Amino acid sequence: MKTMMKSLFLGIILTTMISFTMNSQEIDRTKRPVGKPAPKVELPEIQKATLKNGLKVWLVERHQLPTVAFNLVIQTGSDHDPVNQPGVASMTADVIDEGTKTRDALQISDVLESIGANLNVGANLDGTFMTLNILTKYLEKGIDIFSDVLTNPTFPQKEFDRLQKTRLTSLMQQKDQATTIANNAFSFILYGANHPYGNNPSGTEASIKSMTTGDLVKFYQTYYRPNNATLIVVGDVKMNDIISILEKSLTEWKPADVLEFKVQMAPSIEKMKVYLVDKPGAAQSEIRIGYPALARSTPDYFPVTLMNRMLGGQFTSRINLNIREKRGFTYGARSGFSFQKGAGPFTASAGVHTDKSDSSVHEFLYEINLMHEKGMTADELEFVKKGMVGSFALTFETSAQIAGVLQNIILYGLPENYYNTYLQNIEQVTLQDIDRVSKKYLDTSNMAIVVVGDLAKIKEPISSLNLGDIVVCDTEGKPLP
Amino acid sequence: MKVVLTIFFLVICMSIISNAQINVKFEQYKLDNGLTIILHEDHAAPVTAVSVMYHVGSKDEKPKRTGFAHLFEHMMFQGSEHVGNHEHFSLLQEVGANINGFTTSDGTTYFEVLPSNFVELGLYLESDRMGFLIPAMMQVKLDNQRDVVKNERRQNYDNRPYGTADEKIAKAIYPPTHPYSWPVIGYMEDLSAAALGDIQDFFRTYYAPNNACLVVAGDFKPVELKPQIKKYFASIPRGKDFERPKAVPVSLDKQQRMAFEDKVQLPRLFLTWHSPENNTREDAVLRVLDRILSSGKNSRLYKSLVYDKQIAQSVNASQSGSEIAGTFQIQVTAKPGHNLIEMEDAVNQILSDVLKNGVTEKEIENALTATEVQIVNRATTVLGKANALAAYYSYTGETNNINKQMDFFKGITPEEVLTVTKKYLTQPNMVLSVVPLGKLELAAKKGE
Repeated sequence: MKTMMKSLFLGIILTTMISFTMNSQEIDRTKRPVGKPAPKVELPEIQKATLKNGLKVWLVERHQLPTVAFNLVIQTGSDHDPVNQPGVASMTADVIDEGTKTRDALQISDVLESIGANLNVGANLDGTFMTLNILTKYLEKGIDIFSDVLTNPTFPQKEFDRLQKTRLTSLMQQKDQATTIANNAFSFILYGANHPYGNNPSGTEASIKSMTTGDLVKFYQTYYRPNNATLIVVGDVKMNDIISILEKSLTEWKPADVLEFKVQMAPSIEKMKVYLVDKPGAAQSEIRIGYPALARSTPDYFPVTLMNRMLGGQFTSRINLNIREKRGFTYGARSGFSFQKGAGPFTASAGVHTDKSDSSVHEFLYEINLMHEKGMTADELEFVKKGMVGSFALTFETSAQIAGVLQNIILYGLPENYYNTYLQNIEQVTLQDIDRVSKKYLDTSNMAIVVVGDLAKIKEPISSLNLGDIVVCDTEGKPLP
Repeated sequence: MKVVLTIFFLVICMSIISNAQINVKFEQYKLDNGLTIILHEDHAAPVTAVSVMYHVGSKDEKPKRTGFAHLFEHMMFQGSEHVGNHEHFSLLQEVGANINGFTTSDGTTYFEVLPSNFVELGLYLESDRMGFLIPAMMQVKLDNQRDVVKNERRQNYDNRPYGTADEKIAKAIYPPTHPYSWPVIGYMEDLSAAALGDIQDFFRTYYAPNNACLVVAGDFKPVELKPQIKKYFASIPRGKDFERPKAVPVSLDKQQRMAFEDKVQLPRLFLTWHSPENNTREDAVLRVLDRILSSGKNSRLYKSLVYDKQIAQSVNASQSGSEIAGTFQIQVTAKPGHNLIEMEDAVNQILSDVLKNGVTEKEIENALTATEVQIVNRATTVLGKANALAAYYSYTGETNNINKQMDFFKGITPEEVLTVTKKYLTQPNMVLSVVPLGKLELAAKKGE
């Protein structure tokens, strides 16, 4: 790989140019344009205020378009689901906008439809997010409905019953999707039933059936608190304009103590095992390889991100060039570290042609082991550093991107000057850092391999790779007898 | 050859038509070789999008040669005479650019979003593959990308629940010679049959500057950019003219019914009617209707089937107008314990009510507000604007239609919605039932 860039470049210079050009004004196409000096990236200017109830408000003004985006970040997500009751955070988010003290579900929807706005509430492992995007001309109406849903939800039984059935049906539909089966089984196999990352954040049939509106009310009252949240506002407004409206509309939203929470330690994998899930007749196999790896707070964030960029984090990564571009086994292969509040997984993944399931697993392991043992070359490090530095300029184009950047800072408690030091943090990474983190975080003997596919066709070829015990599982990742 | 830049079109819109209607200023001209250039300055962020759209899609393919336009799109990323294999990607990823391409039935678009100091790199790469692709095309690359595309087909169609419904519908509602009767991704056997010579012919016919437009949108100075555009693109020779498939009237003589089994948990019903093409008044009216039917809790189909009766898990109505024809489609997924006969009856009940009593002013107003928001949101990125400018130029011949998107929707009345609904939705439709394996009894059958 070291010479990939160079040899291609040289090859082109050495090739005799057959005159194919038809212009009198010759241009030398072997010379690549060089960039002009890097543009200055203006970091969004964050204005901050705190409401009387303790809610922090972060505003970035943008006046190019007549729109305003709100994102309330609540620091509590599915990671707080009791291990025997997965799905509470996401069901609370689902039902919160189904009725308030003065509006029923259809009335809430009616207000939103009349201003062309989308109100979305959803939870992931790390937090709960309530977002609203509106045209500036509907600012007051928008804040009014947003605040009403947030502070006066009634969790009506009738709507809960409906959404409970809907959720049970979607859990059933998840069995249609090989990718979803693979993701869920992989999480369960890595983290187990006793860790919040091991469970399906949408819940299980049993947990959803046993859930009541009381569970949601309790979750809401415990965690949907102004002192446990930050409101991000990006768009065509000024601080003074929104603060006065918010103070009025959120006055009934009261703070309360929220217990400190830390995601428990993730279990580690003793030795490599291969888990197979049957999807009879599947045209492709979904492969997941990985282990519980790193939290967002790791001091190794930058070297690990750069290392992964070369391994499987972009189109020209080693994994994709090998498994897609060299061998054609897949439409796309990748790897990534999912940095969460707790130790999220490292995952190498692809959907591959059934006949190539074993060869693809082999190639994945080859690439991960190679990075683990040899790290990368100076040229490769330079290549991924430049790419990451360059893409920084593309980070702050839209309100949605800026809201996302702010959300990262808030959710993961990143330093406020995080983006001021970002480029420097990339530049500082050395080859020794890459060697160290690839040794430390890419040991395949501590990884699990999950393959969802046509068992009759893939079991034998994968077994003959002799990678470890073969465990046949159900669609949730539980071993079959 | 001396190339003269001819400015034949310059638009500066000073007025904003309605409160939220967008106003994308641009400059447009043609090179002598017929390449259309569209420039839009936006200095809000140090970002520039370079987008090249070729006016060729799967509708320009021939039967037995399906999937070419899209397979060809893949080949465009495999290097050109002065750009090595994979180098197209690595040169762009090295500067942090976002890169992709997409193929539809009518067009193929390639783009890169670059830090603005590297815009020239985008021009260089786009011009090299526009002018110098053939010398770099090799059998080994074709074989590799054919496998990749076959896997794309497996992943996004064959291995996806309900993934082959669309191609079954298209095959049933269009005559076999109609270019919308085959899927953009192509059939497996045709992908296997694609030979290097076919691919090269395809390039020579359709990938000429006179069949393309180059849009640059974002943080650049036109005075610096125009000479660069001339330098890289002006020498690429014009291609021959060719015939584009024309709109021919299509209709179904009688209702068509089909059912097939798939690896799914729940049965899903697809009702499809022929409808008008894109960028027409009737297309706009039917887009309003689709929102009235299935957008939001108070929409007709959603409220009845999903919210009140709770017999459906989801419902979606959509008008999709393409360049020479359109379809109006309603999809309903039944809840466990319910079958598609029930779904079809429930949908028909709602449609009969619309046809009898019409829709309200308020429903139209909400649909227009949502449309307005959607138009504004599509203009938030330089890439979104670049691709929209390219599409309005290619499909309507009038780039400034980007700023007149709401015009098609102006003054739509309940009477007009009723008239257009009657005109299209009372025609024979195609009824496709997709049911779980071994459960054909859940399919929508001919009315008793």
